[in-house]
Amino acid sequence: MASNPPQPPGQGSPNWGSPANPAPPGQGSPNWGTPAGPTPPDQVHQGWSPPPGSQPPPQPGMPFAPPGMPFALPQPPPAMAQPPAQPAAPAGSYTCAWCGMSSQNPGGSCPSCGAPVDVRAIQDTSGWTQLPAVKDMARIQFGQSTCQIAGTVVPVADVSLDGGESVFFMHHTLLFREDGVKIDTLKLRGGWSRMLAGMPLVMVQASGKGHIAFSHDAAGEIVALPIQVGSGVEVREHTMLIASGATAYDWVMSGIYFTTLKGQNEQETHYPMGQFLDRFSAPRAPGLVLLHAKGNAFVRRLGPGETMLIKPTALLYKDLSVSMHLHFEHPAGAYQSWRSWGNRYLWLRCIGPGRVAVESAFVPVEDPGLDLMGSSPATRQQW
Amino acid sequence: MVEAVGQRVECQWCHGQNPVDAQSCATCGAPLDVRNLVSDSGWREAPRLRDMTEFHFGSSSCQVEGELVPVAEITLSPQDGIFFEHHVMLWKDQTVPVGVMPLQGMMKRSFAGMPHIITTARGPGRIAFSRDATGELVVLPLHPSMELDAREHAFLLASHTVQYSYTRIQGMRTALFGGQGMFMDRFIAAGQPGLLILHGYGNVFERTLAAGQSILLEPGAYLYKDSSVQMTVESQKLTTGLFGGTGLHMVRMTGPGRLGMQSMYVHHATE
Repeated sequence: MASNPPQPPGQGSPNWGSPANPAPPGQGSPNWGTPAGPTPPDQVHQGWSPPPGSQPPPQPGMPFAPPGMPFALPQPPPAMAQPPAQPAAPAGSYTCAWCGMSSQNPGGSCPSCGAPVDVRAIQDTSGWTQLPAVKDMARIQFGQSTCQIAGTVVPVADVSLDGGESVFFMHHTLLFREDGVKIDTLKLRGGWSRMLAGMPLVMVQASGKGHIAFSHDAAGEIVALPIQVGSGVEVREHTMLIASGATAYDWVMSGIYFTTLKGQNEQETHYPMGQFLDRFSAPRAPGLVLLHAKGNAFVRRLGPGETMLIKPTALLYKDLSVSMHLHFEHPAGAYQSWRSWGNRYLWLRCIGPGRVAVESAFVPVEDPGLDLMGSSPATRQQW
Repeated sequence: MVEAVGQRVECQWCHGQNPVDAQSCATCGAPLDVRNLVSDSGWREAPRLRDMTEFHFGSSSCQVEGELVPVAEITLSPQDGIFFEHHVMLWKDQTVPVGVMPLQGMMKRSFAGMPHIITTARGPGRIAFSRDATGELVVLPLHPSMELDAREHAFLLASHTVQYSYTRIQGMRTALFGGQGMFMDRFIAAGQPGLLILHGYGNVFERTLAAGQSILLEPGAYLYKDSSVQMTVESQKLTTGLFGGTGLHMVRMTGPGRLGMQSMYVHHATE
């Protein structure tokens, strides 16, 4: 379970900057909702700059907490072993530029992720690599079973189960199945929390021998993520299509939230990228996860300490080694007052090392436009 | 997507005959120079119609424009007509007259959520249609005596030679959980050939079921079927202990006949 459980509304931070409880001068860093001078460009990503003698400025990864309240230090990322280094590929073998898996005589596409072998990775000048579209009818191997990707607009994952393997999925992605495939409920912990968070309450497992197919409800791409033993990824909720039975599934708090004042005294908590993340790992045997990206999918590999701002709702997946927190950006010249949030842009600040992937068709971040009462660890920039 | 027959080539989608040098089928617009794409499980992808492909019906023609949300632009001759649901009209020549098709059972259609009004248009002139989401046009030439059922609101247009009716879905459970409501559109080519164009969301796949062969399909993914294909609902309870769980309803389609499926569908709440 991830750290930083959100504070229940009404029990969290005081109403800084609100007319009822303005932040005392010289105390506290955020001054939410109050006019602030422009932040020099060299303070980008440096967090707030409180007056001398106050609490130290929050650093990336440190929580945003009001004065006088203890920082709830985030827990370090879960201790997952780094994926073992790939052995040197023998001569004549093919190493996929997308998933890094080696194979012999792959044919037209990588058997581990379906990426075409005859196209070069498309990388833009900023470092994002576009997912090579899986060829129509390409096959992906997992164990003795295969998954065929059919279609190009809203592609279908047509899984042929061999009898020894299984897959699990959210039931509303099921498209068709043959009689030889049996389905049953996968036991999940925390049903109450999942229900409150709007996550699917039921995860379904399919086993047996035969075909079963899945698709999502929007135009996009299927992203195949082979999971090596000891590694894992975190995925934004509702993007998973299927995972192989060898893949371990868990769900963790996203730790990304902010609170606003609702009415006179009530606080409302917002989760711009959802309250939870799906976590997939491969503790004993290699696993396979298929995601559905709306629009196109792009991935970027961040170096240690390298940062990137992305829209919270555009996150597709990230490596466990990538940490993230909120980042509030205020453009220069925007009107602000003690009652107005002015103009702010909400970002997710990702910090390497590791991969970060985004989808191009994402829903806008929901921001009610009210003064912030508090948030999860965050940085801020006033231009 | 082609089979040579003497000096002609046969379209594998609609079995229309075409000159050997044709790039696309004159009857349905399917490309003739690409092979069929069939999955291991036996589903064949509906042909992706090339941008600006043109095909003919009666004395009129249809040109397909666009690839994400394709437009069917109809050039009507004076002796031809078409019918459609009015909300799929994109544009038309001012001179193209439109009317209303007399329908029976208006009260039933109203209760079933089906369109109250089917609009007709006659030539000469041009009129164009499109739907509201990414998908494919599925061109289905209907030969005489062919009967085809389509999910409600899936049809884009049909030629005036096609008889239009609707059929009540048998069985209360099938009506409640089959994702179709109580009725399906039925198109019949009684005495002469006709043309039916559907819009499928996402990608469209077709499979021909042998007699007695069946498959379980998500109700929302059903797009069309030959009237000979039977449809029933099968349910499974997925429980999660204290939280009860949910019901999973799928339609069992039993052959013989063709079955069309769309990959992007509305998931109908089951409980």
